Amino acid sequence: MSDELKIVGLLCNWCCYGGADTAGTARMQYPPNVRIIRVMCSGRINPSMIFKAFEEGADGVFVGGCHIGDCHYDAGNYKWSRRSKIVEDILEEFGIEKERFRHEWISASEGEKFQTTMDEFYKTLQKLGPLELK
Amino acid sequence: MLEIKHTLCPSCSVGCGINVVSHEGDVVGTYPYKRHPVNEGKNCLNGRNSIEAYKNKLESAIVSNSDVDIDKAIDEICSNLKSKDSDKITVFCSGNNSVEDIEAIKSFAEANNYNIASYADNIVDIDGEVASYDDVEKASKLIVIGDVLYTNPLIGRRIIHAKDNGADVYSFTPEGSVTANVSNEICDSIDDVLNNFGDNLDESSVILFNTVNSSEDLDKIKEIADKANSKILPVFSKCNSKGACEIIKAQSKEEFVELLNDTDLLLVFNDDLIPEIDFDFGSISTIVSFVPCENSTSNASQIVVPVKSWLENDGSFVNAMGETQTFSAVIESDALGVDEVIEKIQNKL
Amino acid sequence: MSYVLAKSKNPDIQEAGECGGAVTSIFKYLLDENIVDGVLALSPGDDIYDGVPTFITDSEDLIKTAGSYHCAPTMFGDIIQKYLSDKKVAVSVKPCDIRSIDELIKRHKINPDNIFTVGLNCGGTVSPVTGRKMIELFYDINPDDVVSEEIDKGQFIVELADGTEKGVKIHELEHEGYGRRLNCQRCDVKIPRKANIACGNWGASDGWTFIEINDEKGEELIKGAQKAGILETKSPSQDAIDARLKVEGIMIKMAKKNQDVNYEKVSGIKEWDRCIRCCACRDVCPICWCYENCELNKSYFNASDVPPSPIAFQGIRLSHMSFSCCDCGQCDDVCPMDIPVSLIFDKLQKKYQDRTGYVAGVSDDVKPPLYSPAKEEL
Repeated sequence: MSDELKIVGLLCNWCCYGGADTAGTARMQYPPNVRIIRVMCSGRINPSMIFKAFEEGADGVFVGGCHIGDCHYDAGNYKWSRRSKIVEDILEEFGIEKERFRHEWISASEGEKFQTTMDEFYKTLQKLGPLELK
Repeated sequence: MLEIKHTLCPSCSVGCGINVVSHEGDVVGTYPYKRHPVNEGKNCLNGRNSIEAYKNKLESAIVSNSDVDIDKAIDEICSNLKSKDSDKITVFCSGNNSVEDIEAIKSFAEANNYNIASYADNIVDIDGEVASYDDVEKASKLIVIGDVLYTNPLIGRRIIHAKDNGADVYSFTPEGSVTANVSNEICDSIDDVLNNFGDNLDESSVILFNTVNSSEDLDKIKEIADKANSKILPVFSKCNSKGACEIIKAQSKEEFVELLNDTDLLLVFNDDLIPEIDFDFGSISTIVSFVPCENSTSNASQIVVPVKSWLENDGSFVNAMGETQTFSAVIESDALGVDEVIEKIQNKL
Repeated sequence: MSYVLAKSKNPDIQEAGECGGAVTSIFKYLLDENIVDGVLALSPGDDIYDGVPTFITDSEDLIKTAGSYHCAPTMFGDIIQKYLSDKKVAVSVKPCDIRSIDELIKRHKINPDNIFTVGLNCGGTVSPVTGRKMIELFYDINPDDVVSEEIDKGQFIVELADGTEKGVKIHELEHEGYGRRLNCQRCDVKIPRKANIACGNWGASDGWTFIEINDEKGEELIKGAQKAGILETKSPSQDAIDARLKVEGIMIKMAKKNQDVNYEKVSGIKEWDRCIRCCACRDVCPICWCYENCELNKSYFNASDVPPSPIAFQGIRLSHMSFSCCDCGQCDDVCPMDIPVSLIFDKLQKKYQDRTGYVAGVSDDVKPPLYSPAKEEL
């Protein structure tokens, strides 16, 4: 059953998407359950996107952005980071474990970090099982 | 200047209070009327949107698709009325009109021997006492027919209160609907819910319905309620249907269609029949609509006369539980009331 | 910040006002001197349980707004924002009113130069229909015979025309599901210190209003009204100041207790499954102002789903404004399905407060931290 786990990955164009690309070209194995959506900046992601993903059946949502200080648009990842705290708080109240929502700073060269992050996240979700919305 | 005034919601027969905000002579919004005993300031989306009727109001009378002076339209109506046999003329009014307007319409039709028609969601012959909203709240068992929580939320709220007080709720409503979510049991048909749970009812139970398919359904509801000594509460889609039924006997869909078949000239007071009644309205040679704002029936009418919208009117409505509530205009208007239009027509006949 | 005791010099206003008519006199001064275009206050509609927001432009009409309402849970923030933003307005505000006004100022929806805010200390409000039922049940009095109500020393007190009073402990009423609205029971902002002045009877001697002057504009208000000969003032004793703070402290303590009991209930809220998506909660919210551009109206949010999935409905609203929620409880009041909406919003504002120190409509930050361009993580 766990192979049907759905992960939505919202990745920033300049860093994490590049990281996923690096992992791919280097043929690093990571769980195929992640569906990647490229966004221009993690600062562009609003909480409704995360909620929409869960509503539509995602079992986990991952957000990847540039390391703090490296944002292509100066401060987008700071904004996302603050927003992510609100998202966590809200998810909790609706019975969605906060472990189902993860965000990480991954640069374009960190293919390996992308791989291990995905592995870890997948394992966490495996333990939690499919999400049942209230 | 900014003013907030009380009136009644015209969007269904529950009889909620609503505050209307007017600003510099224009209706600009609604505001909760928390003192109103029926809804305590709570209004559904339909209720809050009902002020749109004012925003889209008709500016002038229409004869054969062109704007005309109101007196011209009235002359046209009168010559139509004179040229037809009175038994081919039908006057239709519904719960969208106030008690006072319906009385005026009735005496107009009677004085001239026209047919008079009234229709209230196919619900007929509900004369006796019905359950009050407090009865619903205090009921031990409820049979609910229709998605009442969604369609008539402020009675739906009483169902929720009943549930909180420990009542059992049995419904005929689609699975997954909000009414189903507060029900103990849901059934696939009106027959099912009445047959399966009718025997559970007692004298503190209520059968609540906002839809019936046929007069057989209605008879069955009444029969089961009588047997258990329970009360019934029909909830109409129009604000004054209960009041209208008390003045003019409501017809079933079949009776109404039969009358329409025999009609040459149809006068429609403040209603939109076309989406509601499955009938070829094109077969009626002349339709006259008296409406505050355009609707599909007025678009199909040869003559359209603008009348006051509910916001500009004074009068009274009788709500679903039979309580008469008065309301007054929240904004000044130069449009004519239904009673004034009727007087003008009568004077020229 | 400074304190004065004040009362009206106009005998009619003094008689009609709650405690000496200071508030009404200040409004009269503002109107008579043409400092404002109008005064937004409550006047009785059907009866004293029906406070109707009224915009007064002639000071002769002010007398009908005198006195106070405990059964009128109204909201002024959105009225000013929607309809009076181009006018100079004086307004009487409960703490939740001024908190919403403050949040709207931060969102550039109200111009602070255009408004004068006269704060009213607030121990909580009672819904009108509940209030009437409660008076019948617990007081054995016909609610129509009541001429005024008051909350004092832990009691909800009603006064009859002949001057007799009857009080019942608020705690008792609330235990039975009556009394103040649920959000008021949790509210820990009792004195509107963001208003120009904050008025009330806590600590005041009979016939006087205790006023806390919060800023320069407030200072000018009092001085101006004095100069115009309509307001009489004197300094309060230290005992009075202490007594007032003590009342505030007790109320806040009570509120915190209620918060602890109720915030735990949020994740167990089952009522979401009867939401009919009427959006009354959003439309009445003084902080929400996107109107037709609201994210909830976007086609990608399955606008036809009834009931909506709570995460994709309230979740979105929460993420947009819960950090600015001033716990006015309007959403509870207008929900046709009696869903306790405000509880989750209030809880999340408190969570946000714990993280950032930001108290909606109270903190002095220019913007809620979520909007700030600062390079800071939480």
